[in-house]
Amino acid sequence: MKASQDMKADVAEVLLTEEQIAARVAELGRQISADYAGHEVTLVSVLKGSLPFMADLMRRIDLPLRIDLMEVSSYGGTATESSGLVRILKDLSAPIDGRDVLLVEDIIDTGLTLNYLLRYLKGKNPRSIKVCALLDKPARRLVEIPLGYVGFEIPDAFVVGYGLDFGEVYRNLRFVGVLRPAAYES
Amino acid sequence: MTDFEAARGPHPDYAFAHASEAELGRILDFYQVAWEYEPTVFPILWDLDGNVLESFAPDFFLPDLELFIELTTLQQRLVRKKNRKVRRLRELYPGLRIKLFYARDFRALMLKYGRSALVSEFSGTLGQVTSHQEVDGTVGPEDRLDGLDRSAGSKDDTDPAESGWIAEPGPRYERRSRSARRRAVRRAAAATIHAPAT
Repeated sequence: MKASQDMKADVAEVLLTEEQIAARVAELGRQISADYAGHEVTLVSVLKGSLPFMADLMRRIDLPLRIDLMEVSSYGGTATESSGLVRILKDLSAPIDGRDVLLVEDIIDTGLTLNYLLRYLKGKNPRSIKVCALLDKPARRLVEIPLGYVGFEIPDAFVVGYGLDFGEVYRNLRFVGVLRPAAYES
Repeated sequence: MTDFEAARGPHPDYAFAHASEAELGRILDFYQVAWEYEPTVFPILWDLDGNVLESFAPDFFLPDLELFIELTTLQQRLVRKKNRKVRRLRELYPGLRIKLFYARDFRALMLKYGRSALVSEFSGTLGQVTSHQEVDGTVGPEDRLDGLDRSAGSKDDTDPAESGWIAEPGPRYERRSRSARRRAVRRAAAATIHAPAT
């Protein structure tokens, strides 16, 4: 697929403005700061979609914290077809045993990736593990997983921006928007 | 062999009724979610003598999540039939968790995974690889039609009350063995081959 030179032209509707996202991220930061007061939390960002959210969220948490990054292969990705099973493309750089972990995700839809990640991370014996997702699309859920923190519940639409991509494009939009069907049907 | 493969055993050689089901099986495998294909047949309609007139076998069961999944990637007119069956199933088996996955859900899943080229294949009858649902004498007339000719429209969408059939809750269902499922699929496939063209 080839995105328009003007990426915004491919967006049918702005679902969440930059200001709405910033305000909600600040609220989440306050809530997390209160909930984890007295503890040192490890934020684990799931690449690549959660990068902007992670960057903004961590600066809204008033606690000593560590960050780490993970990347898992996605179904249909060329790097994964040889094995046919999800793989950890980038693992944690430090142990998390005995630590309070907050898994930072951009969007939860089917829950399949998250389900795999949580099982994997629980095997590393953290003291606690919760999920903080910017967007929750419950209409698409296959695996029900309790989400500790949710930025926004969104309707069943194909969204891009603020880290979310289509064909690796649109991640740098500062808002979350609904992609025009023409952009992915072409 | 990974832990997951060891836990699940060898990949079952299922004969799927629709290409979209095979794709969902691959997706679940990819994310290491254990699944079974049409493992259970639920009676949903009985006659006055207690004979089963209609049954429903959801496409997938995810044992670790205790969740059934039914895919409806066919024409919209047949979705009503599936909706009715799922509604009936929920009434009769209230503890049962079932998720109906519509064509639009599946399309979105394919787009998400960058497999948009497959989307058109999974619409209508093009994705049909064989038929299903006929099972060891517990099948009702609608299921036979469903199994034999999904593309030819249907006499379905008939309310059971209007048809004169009486549905009695009888929450006993049949769990099929893998060999029984294979026999059923083979029978349905054979019936498809010999079914007159419409």
